[in-house]
Amino acid sequence: MSAHPSVASVTRSEWIKFRSVRSSIMGVAVTFVLTIGIGALITASIRTHWTSHPEAHIGFDPVTTSLGGTLFAQFAVGVIGALFVTSEYSSGSIRATLTATPRRVEVAIAKLVVLVASLLVVSEVAVFVTFLMGQAIYSGVVPTASLSNPTVLRAVIFGGFYLTLLGVIGMALGWLLRQSAACISVFTSLILVLPIVTFLLPSSWQNAIGRFEPSTLGQSMESVAPPAHAFSAGGALLVLGIYAVVLTVAAATVLTRRDA
Amino acid sequence: MIALEHLTKRYRKTVAVDDLDLVVQPGVVTGFLGPNGSGKSTTMRVIMGLDRPTRGRATVNGRPYHDLRDPLREVGALLEAKAVNPGRSARNHLRALAASNKIPFARVDEVLEFVGLASVATKRVGDFSLGMGQRLGIAAALLGDPGVLLFDEPVNGLDPEGIRWIRDLFRSLAAEGRTVFVSSHLMSEMAVTADQIIVIGKGHLITQGSVGDLTAAAKGSVVVRAKDRERLEGALRAAGATVEVANDDALRVGGLAAEAVGQLAFDQGVVLFELTPERASLEEVYMALTAGAVEYGSGAS
Repeated sequence: MSAHPSVASVTRSEWIKFRSVRSSIMGVAVTFVLTIGIGALITASIRTHWTSHPEAHIGFDPVTTSLGGTLFAQFAVGVIGALFVTSEYSSGSIRATLTATPRRVEVAIAKLVVLVASLLVVSEVAVFVTFLMGQAIYSGVVPTASLSNPTVLRAVIFGGFYLTLLGVIGMALGWLLRQSAACISVFTSLILVLPIVTFLLPSSWQNAIGRFEPSTLGQSMESVAPPAHAFSAGGALLVLGIYAVVLTVAAATVLTRRDA
Repeated sequence: MIALEHLTKRYRKTVAVDDLDLVVQPGVVTGFLGPNGSGKSTTMRVIMGLDRPTRGRATVNGRPYHDLRDPLREVGALLEAKAVNPGRSARNHLRALAASNKIPFARVDEVLEFVGLASVATKRVGDFSLGMGQRLGIAAALLGDPGVLLFDEPVNGLDPEGIRWIRDLFRSLAAEGRTVFVSSHLMSEMAVTADQIIVIGKGHLITQGSVGDLTAAAKGSVVVRAKDRERLEGALRAAGATVEVANDDALRVGGLAAEAVGQLAFDQGVVLFELTPERASLEEVYMALTAGAVEYGSGAS
């Protein structure tokens, strides 16, 4: 028996759980396929139509377009984060988890560490691969960007951060709602439905509210020049980070207070 | 040792456990009996730190569960069968639990071997039968070689061979000096498994004691048939016994032993056709004790 805090051993336990179920492995595979596959489709399509659509050349961003697959992969990482928690509630294994580690905050921290570490690796690899592949597809026909440009490098790295933070938000929703279906509905609403609702509002409201939406924050983070009325890339990272932290603190509070 | 001190657990308006005071001693198998919904599972969940008591407290070896370091090394519990992610293998499930409490992985294979699941250690738990799931739950409870063990309805889903195996397991665990606390809604099961019995109903303690104490406390009766029934009935009532007329002219006599009834009949010169002492079974004692505490009774009972 050790008198030291046991977060390290709990993290080891959560890592065994994360890698030993098909849903995590599938989620990671889907994240790669969506980021890289959709990125390839978008960039190939742009190359094909480049000469016949000169109007699209204005404001063209070879970075954002090559990272377009993250718009789809964001749902995969949200589901990975949510299921890592909700699968414990649906199977009942949360009882075993919490009797093994009765200081529940340690469980929340351990799961967060495992998720963030896994998603950072997966997301960064995915965005760098899709960026490099996209530039290779563009080369010769469409203007390309290079990682030697610090702004381009930032946009690609932040693309990975965006996916990772959305995974964290998915996990926090998992702790708060405990049910996979509820989590996925709420998560999808935040990403997809919110922009549609905002679009129906007067334009001054759109500009004020729109820039706080996760999808707009993602656009700022992944582009060389952020869209009009949006936060700067650094500002967007900060706002999204605050969302993740607030939701995670709320999740940990609920976890320690509620009966399991 | 497990101790409950004025333990009360309320869920909104429902009182699941009401001011329960108990000590579960090591070295014996303690049966925890009560009808469905009597608060057995809630009590176990509070002991295991899963639910927070509304009032009072539960301690294991003198400390609240929450304060135990690496608790699996002190307490093991089977709370529900197959509470495992169906996609995970039995070995990975146990390894995850072992890692969190710094238990070496060699112990995982040891307990899998012990409960008879070694050959399916790498199979998905989702494909397990209920009985195999129950065995996996027992393996998880034994993982940290704990001195205190709790089992909630452990025989559910086990075949007769499994039931005998688990009874022997409880006895040997208790013989090693461990605290073994087993819940059941079946008295017949506990009668053959437990040394000590605690009966609760509607969250209240109804009675506790050894199996022998409980049956001894049960009031038996004597069934008697006589040629001159009225004469015997009068004499019995005069002797202070309770008498009711059962079917086919027999009398059911309470408060007198069979010997005393026979002697009385002889003194009165009444010819007896039958004199049968009836001892209440532990099952009947239990039914009588919990009659007022059954949450979903069958109406006509």
